[in-house]
Amino acid sequence: MFKMSEYSFVAGTIAVGLALACYVLAFIAVRIARARTGLVAAGVGGETVVVNGSGMAGLAAYGSLITSLALAFLTMSLMFRTIASGHGPFVNMYEFAIAFAWGVVAVYVYFEHRYHQRMLSVLVLPVALGLLIYATMQPADIEPLVPALQNNLLLTIHVAVAIIAYGTFAIAFASAVLYLIQPDGGIPGLPKPEVLDSIAHRAVVIGFPFLTLTIVFGALWANIAWGSYWSWDPKETASLVTWLLFGSYLHARVVRGWRGRRAAWLLVIGFAAAIFTFFGNLFFGGLHSYATGGGN
Amino acid sequence: MKRATEPIDDLDVGLQIPISDIFDRIWRLFVSMRTGLALILGLAVLSLIGTLLVQAPPEVKADPTAYATWLDSIAPKYGGWTRIFDSAGFFSMFSSVWFRGVTVLLVTSIVACSIRRAPLLWRRAVHPRIAMGDSFFANAPLTTVFGANSNPEATLEAVRRVLRRRHLRVSVDSSGGDIHVHADRFRWGPWGTIAAHLSIISILVGAVIGATWGYRDNSLAVAVGNAPVAVGGGTGLTVAARSFSATYYPGGSTPSDYSSVLAVYRNGREVASQTVRVNQPLQVGDVAFHQAYFGGAVAMRVQDAAGKVLFDEAVPLLLASTDGKESVGRFSLPEVGATVYVVEAASGVVDPSIRAGQAKVEVYNPGSDQPAATSVVSQGQSAPVAGLMFTFVRERQFAGLMVARDPGAPLVWGGAVLLVLGIVLVFYFPHRRIWVRLRRDEMHTTEVRLASAQRRDAGFAAHFARIADDIKAAVKAAHTP
Repeated sequence: MFKMSEYSFVAGTIAVGLALACYVLAFIAVRIARARTGLVAAGVGGETVVVNGSGMAGLAAYGSLITSLALAFLTMSLMFRTIASGHGPFVNMYEFAIAFAWGVVAVYVYFEHRYHQRMLSVLVLPVALGLLIYATMQPADIEPLVPALQNNLLLTIHVAVAIIAYGTFAIAFASAVLYLIQPDGGIPGLPKPEVLDSIAHRAVVIGFPFLTLTIVFGALWANIAWGSYWSWDPKETASLVTWLLFGSYLHARVVRGWRGRRAAWLLVIGFAAAIFTFFGNLFFGGLHSYATGGGN
Repeated sequence: MKRATEPIDDLDVGLQIPISDIFDRIWRLFVSMRTGLALILGLAVLSLIGTLLVQAPPEVKADPTAYATWLDSIAPKYGGWTRIFDSAGFFSMFSSVWFRGVTVLLVTSIVACSIRRAPLLWRRAVHPRIAMGDSFFANAPLTTVFGANSNPEATLEAVRRVLRRRHLRVSVDSSGGDIHVHADRFRWGPWGTIAAHLSIISILVGAVIGATWGYRDNSLAVAVGNAPVAVGGGTGLTVAARSFSATYYPGGSTPSDYSSVLAVYRNGREVASQTVRVNQPLQVGDVAFHQAYFGGAVAMRVQDAAGKVLFDEAVPLLLASTDGKESVGRFSLPEVGATVYVVEAASGVVDPSIRAGQAKVEVYNPGSDQPAATSVVSQGQSAPVAGLMFTFVRERQFAGLMVARDPGAPLVWGGAVLLVLGIVLVFYFPHRRIWVRLRRDEMHTTEVRLASAQRRDAGFAAHFARIADDIKAAVKAAHTP
């Protein structure tokens, strides 16, 4: 099972890389074609519609297909590892990085299916790929579970909801970046700013309740295992920062002068905070540092 | 607020600031979403600083000497900034005046916003405005208009049927010339914002109650075999450890499990007993006993020259020597005014002077930092030290407990549930409202106008279009003989 999990992980990583390559090439091909012919692509996404005779028209479709494959491989990897280790694959940085990448890819697949904005992949998949490459640099051994983590139900719920939240924030981040690089009125061929704004909002509307649940379940578990629902542990405070930033985004959207660009910046900063929360225990220690040799 | 009309003295003659204006300004400041946004961002920035900078443990902060030592220990990391961060209170950010101040302002803003919003939401839910004017129908973000071949009354029935089938509540106002219809769903959805915002206050109030009236002992060491130990905080409880066991993963020092069987007594009567693990605390009323840490203990008996027993219990080895090679326990003998240290080699350390199964006894007289006498005693043996007879009865273990009583917890958990429910309600059950106007035209047929003021929402636009299509079809069917 352990071997199967490793193979699936490698396959998943390669698939994410390939899918990203397809999307990027498709994007470049369309740019070139557009520049050469002045052809205006129709459709919402705009990047893969008719491209005269370049032979690249189907690339983005391949990208979608391979992304789904990547999701399947990563799912298998996590499942096999769960079977091999006997607990949710959420215990050390190796497992958590793969789980985070799974969340990013899964949420992306959902949003692609729902909103057909494949351009987002060019920014979202590098996040997933980065996490997977980071995972390859981590020790993959299945480590024994310290007593504090021996709560399969809460371990699974707490981390699973966190992964969904982080995945949606990656989508919001990608939408915000695509929004910010465009002048008012947008750039032809890129998703329209108002569409991006709406996708980002949708992502946060999904992600924010999940982040809230992550913190609530974390507090519940902390109360059982650490005897206190809140200890101002660095990972707790970092997640509070993330929660406050996305909370501020939700408020900013209804404040005049904050809609649009400023709100988009909040999403970029919020995603940075999420990444910081994820990697935080590597350098600030604290109660959550199970994966770094500390632990309690 | 009344304004002063007649001057009390000369001071009132100059600049006049109406009091109501000041209150009005403060009110407007706190109900402003912009203020709320600034406060949330301010809290985020402070929390970020508190995350990035090392925070002084509360027990260190409480002791000025310990805090000075602690500051020296972190000075190499922050250099010249140490003093600046310290005077700004950044090393105890979450109890600093900044953090508390912004939190209080945010709570004020939340309360003000909720007070302002609640009546508005109540009106919308209970007494919605049914008849909208022409300009609303002309300018609403979503509108559609079509003709019906039946009269307004018959058309109304068709419209009503469609809206009801779509689970919308339908209110009709036909007091004017036109028939006005207001249809809505999830009218309690927006109350989710009130719930979510008030839940934050509930959580904060719970936290304050817990910090003020709660009780917490992070390190209560209970050695196996000893008489019950008193639990503080006015709980009136005592606790004893009946047994303790720890198992380790093969070939490592990582414990796979550690647990103790605890018994809790009130007035000498046992009220609870349970095996306690890290993820399995013992709850007695509102007091929780958590297994937090563990270690070795030495059961020691001390007798004076006459053979009278001065001390007979297990001493938990709670301390570690500075080099980490020795585990140290301490107890005092009030009858002879001495303090005794019991020293063992730390687990895994080979110490030729204190071998496994041995303990060193050091007897200190008051005011002296040198032991009056020391001796190494083997398990099961006795040795005279400083005129007293020390017997190392046997090796024991102790369970390190964390005891907490938190009267604020119900408010915190209630708040957490309310927070999640509120957020879900706001985002997933938005109040959807549609207005319909039926106007009789010259041919005794009806002009049907639909409008909704919903903000840009792709999902709702499609929903609106479907409802409009349904109504068109129903109106047509209503007329066809």
